[in-house]
Amino acid sequence: MKAIFISFDQAYYERIIEMLYKSGCRGFTAFNDVVGRGSNTGDPHYGTHAWPSLVQGILTVVEAARVDTVLEKLHEMDLATPKLGLRAFVWNIEKSI
Amino acid sequence: MSLYSSSVKRPVTTILIFVAVVILGLFSLQKLPIDLYPDIDTNTIMVMTSYSGASAEDIEQNVTRPLENSLNSVEHLKHITSSSKENISIVTLEFEYGYDIDVLTNNVRDKLNMVSSMLPDNANTPIIFKFSSDMIPIVLLSAQAHESVPGLYKILDENVANSLARVDGVGSVSIMGAPKREVHVYIDPLKLEAYHLSIETIAQLIGAENRNIPGGTFDIGSETYALRVQGEFEDPREIANIVVGASNGAAIHLSDVARVDDSLEERAQETFTNGVRGAMIIVQKQSGANSVEISNQIQKQLPHIQKNLPADIKLDYIVDTSDNIRNTIASLVETVLFALLFVVIVVFFFLGRWRATVIIVLTIPISLIASFIYLYASGNSLNMVSLSALSISIGMVVDDAIVVLENVTTHIERGADPKQAAVHGTNEVAISVIASTLTLIAVFFPLTLITGMTGVFFRQLGWMVTIMMIISTTAALSLTPMLCSKMLRLKRTENKYFTKFYGPIEKVLDKLDDGFAWLLTHCVRHRWITSLVVLGVFVASMFLMKFVGSEFFPTMDNSRLGINLELPIGTRVEVAKDVSERLYKEWTEKYPEIKVFNYTVGQASSDNTFGSMQSNGSHIISMNLRLVNPSERDRSITEIAGLMREDLKHYPELKKALVNVGGQRGGGMTGQSALNYEIYGFDFEKTDSVAQQLKRILENVKGAADINISRSDYQPEYQVDFDREKLALYGLNLSTAATYIRNRINGNTASYFREDGDEYDIKVMYDPEHRQSLQDIENITLYNAMGNGIKLKEVGKVVERFTPPTIERKDRERIITVSTVVQDRPMSEVIADAQPEIDKLDLPSGVIIELSGSYENQQESFSDMGVLAVLIIILVYIVMAAQFESFTYPAIIMSSIMFAFSGIVLILLLTGTNLNMMSMIGAIMLIGIVVKNGIVLIDYITLNRERGMSVRRAVIDGGKSRLRPVLMTSLTTILGMVPMAVGTGEGAEMWRPMGIAVIGGLTFSTVLTLLFVPTMYTIFAYNGIKRTRKKLHKSQAKQAKKQTEEV
Repeated sequence: MKAIFISFDQAYYERIIEMLYKSGCRGFTAFNDVVGRGSNTGDPHYGTHAWPSLVQGILTVVEAARVDTVLEKLHEMDLATPKLGLRAFVWNIEKSI
Repeated sequence: MSLYSSSVKRPVTTILIFVAVVILGLFSLQKLPIDLYPDIDTNTIMVMTSYSGASAEDIEQNVTRPLENSLNSVEHLKHITSSSKENISIVTLEFEYGYDIDVLTNNVRDKLNMVSSMLPDNANTPIIFKFSSDMIPIVLLSAQAHESVPGLYKILDENVANSLARVDGVGSVSIMGAPKREVHVYIDPLKLEAYHLSIETIAQLIGAENRNIPGGTFDIGSETYALRVQGEFEDPREIANIVVGASNGAAIHLSDVARVDDSLEERAQETFTNGVRGAMIIVQKQSGANSVEISNQIQKQLPHIQKNLPADIKLDYIVDTSDNIRNTIASLVETVLFALLFVVIVVFFFLGRWRATVIIVLTIPISLIASFIYLYASGNSLNMVSLSALSISIGMVVDDAIVVLENVTTHIERGADPKQAAVHGTNEVAISVIASTLTLIAVFFPLTLITGMTGVFFRQLGWMVTIMMIISTTAALSLTPMLCSKMLRLKRTENKYFTKFYGPIEKVLDKLDDGFAWLLTHCVRHRWITSLVVLGVFVASMFLMKFVGSEFFPTMDNSRLGINLELPIGTRVEVAKDVSERLYKEWTEKYPEIKVFNYTVGQASSDNTFGSMQSNGSHIISMNLRLVNPSERDRSITEIAGLMREDLKHYPELKKALVNVGGQRGGGMTGQSALNYEIYGFDFEKTDSVAQQLKRILENVKGAADINISRSDYQPEYQVDFDREKLALYGLNLSTAATYIRNRINGNTASYFREDGDEYDIKVMYDPEHRQSLQDIENITLYNAMGNGIKLKEVGKVVERFTPPTIERKDRERIITVSTVVQDRPMSEVIADAQPEIDKLDLPSGVIIELSGSYENQQESFSDMGVLAVLIIILVYIVMAAQFESFTYPAIIMSSIMFAFSGIVLILLLTGTNLNMMSMIGAIMLIGIVVKNGIVLIDYITLNRERGMSVRRAVIDGGKSRLRPVLMTSLTTILGMVPMAVGTGEGAEMWRPMGIAVIGGLTFSTVLTLLFVPTMYTIFAYNGIKRTRKKLHKSQAKQAKKQTEEV
């Protein structure tokens, strides 16, 4: 089991949920209306007057075999619309109930 | 959940809600009555008190003054005017607008109860009379006749008046100019004397002979019969055969001493329409009834009525007030449609996408139609004000939708899904959309608070625009994002032909962007010079202000002219008829624009309600002219009126000649402006001479026409002075003697002749040839109780005297009004020319001159507007300061208001338009409209700064990227106003100054705002930076000092 944390412009939300479902990852935890900024490029997402867009985060724990497909599809999305901003990070799950 | 996200998620609900609104709106529209103006409450109450036998001065002292003194304390009273003439006192109370007239009437009644004990014993109880606009006739018909003239009254009364009175909403129908039938018994006084008979005996006998008397019932066998004497005359000729006495055993028949003449009443008004004798039929409506509806019904009925009339009687319209209403409304509807078209073109031009255009344009019908629901619910009508509110709003209701759509498009172009883009795009701009709507509401809502006559106009305008703005903002925040999510596409399919067509437009727009950026760069670099130049332009334009003339309201061309002519008092009606005929011939030749030429001469009979309300008399001519529609002629109504005034100067027999544009004299909102110089003073002679001097001054002022002095001359009349002692000696008293005179000259109504259910007077009087000279009067024989005849000259003298005219008072002082109509010149210039001369007048002590009329109204309304403008500016400032959380930015934005005012001054000068209430209202609207541009600019510039750009880059980048939205919203408003500003339809005169003012002000201010606001922003921003740096330096220096001290 691996955890994927996806941080993205909220415009992606529905597309990502749909993609995860199609990839066989049913469970997820989403964080609505959070703020953030990319490390190198892209506009900040602060939900302010100057930077009105907002970030959404999804934490999903999937089987290790599915991680690559998910990441690939996410990367495709990011390449198609680079201005929105989308990043994903993966780490191990030690234990779960 | 926010409005926009729920509407994007529930498209069906959203769309159906708006469909429901539209359906309700259309339903209301169908039910809305059509009228020219919003309902104007009456504000005038008249109190009439008769006191027979009292002279004008007695009436003034004993009736009018006590009444005035007590009525003066009724609250909300604006002016109290009165006229005291022989036998009657009329006190007119004018109240402030906007109060319930019923409450005011009750207050007046209470005061009257208190004062009634102070009135003379013989004075009648005062009668309260509410004046209302319902009394203005809505339709005037003419009936031309040739052979049927003698029976015209009966024919019209039975066939026309009766069927018209049955139309729903018609209050009364009166017939003017058709004399009624009357049977005259013309007595030869000489023969009468020879037979020792008197008029009174003959009248009594005629009355006694003309009777039907029931004789009771009686039984014959088993039946009961009624017994009756049927003595009523069946033919007027029978009257001649009655026996009136006996002489030497032979019966004297009436025909021996008199002739019976079955004809028409002697003194009657005569009406001529297009040169043909006929009658005038006046239709007045019930209060609250709809004129257009009534006129439609009448129009439907007329062909049927015409069919039942004798062939020589022709019915035609002289005035149909609803014609004007219909035409005005039709031309406004056209204006609204044109405005719609222009806005669609502008939106498409800037966006270049039909889907986007559809989304934006949809908000127009929705907000406009929804406002009909308000009109219907509040019981208003579709009128000039409500329709022009629509026209004004068309350009503004799209603004919010444009801002939302633009931002959603940016999101889609960044790659967001349309659905998400719609929600987030709207979310970003929602606050600024609401803020800019609030600034507009801050402008239009205070309009609903205006009181007075102008309030009637602008209250509805304020409500309508406020409601439309709220609805358009709601639609922009719900319907627009929903439609964006459904209709906008991520990838646009480019049509080959479309690219060919739109390509060049896009290039032009791009070039415009670049050019503007270049210009702005230069302006910002030389910011001090730029701001000085721009401020210089503003100051210079304010100096030009004094060349702009001012007036109250523009004159409307409703194709109606009312002309009142007065010959010297006592002129015979034949002379009046002759003058009218000559004028008719001259004018119909000179002015082919005249469609209907109607004039009335003569004295109105006392039972004619409409006729007796107007001034009438044998020396007065009143004319009603109807011109062809404004679009069908080159000369305007004021031009024609001006020429007619010149023509009338060639008629020396006329003592007074007034040409009234719009049918009635100034004062109101639609006629030519009228200046009333009020001369207050007690002494008749002194005030008369001042009035004459004032008249001479005004005659020399260019632009002052139709100068009229309100106080009429002393009227010449003959009076019989009886010697009471001699009367007593002959066993007579004054009233018996006076009755004898009246019976012989005016006639004694002996009885009524009945035919076909109608009654006609049988009048016994002297033959006309025996009442033509003073000798005839002096030779009248009076009979005393013993039956002895005494000649009038034995007991009295006939002398010529002059009776004093009506005494007019205003605010409890005697007054003469010298009034003039302003023609071909702004009212302000006429006043400016006349005032120095008037100041030079050497006024006798106790006499003052005051200026009122349109001028008074203008001054009041202009100062109201000034206060309103200040209030609005403060409100707008508050809204903006709250939005930007700053005191400086709103101040910078507000500078665009200055340029709007400069623009108005310039365009008024260029087009030669006067500053009036309508252009003032345009200026006030601009306060809200122009700051919107500033808000959009500053909002984006601060955004850029927050995003970390340098001041200069933020300003130039912001200016460049906001150029299109600013131009687009400004152009939609400007082009939306164009149809109003250039309209030529009926009623267009009213709104043209407003359209012109908005176009000029907005154009000028948009251009200068685009340059000046960013420049000012730079200056303030750099100052801000300098200040923070200074502070920083100071604190650094302080710290350094501390450190060194520590060391």
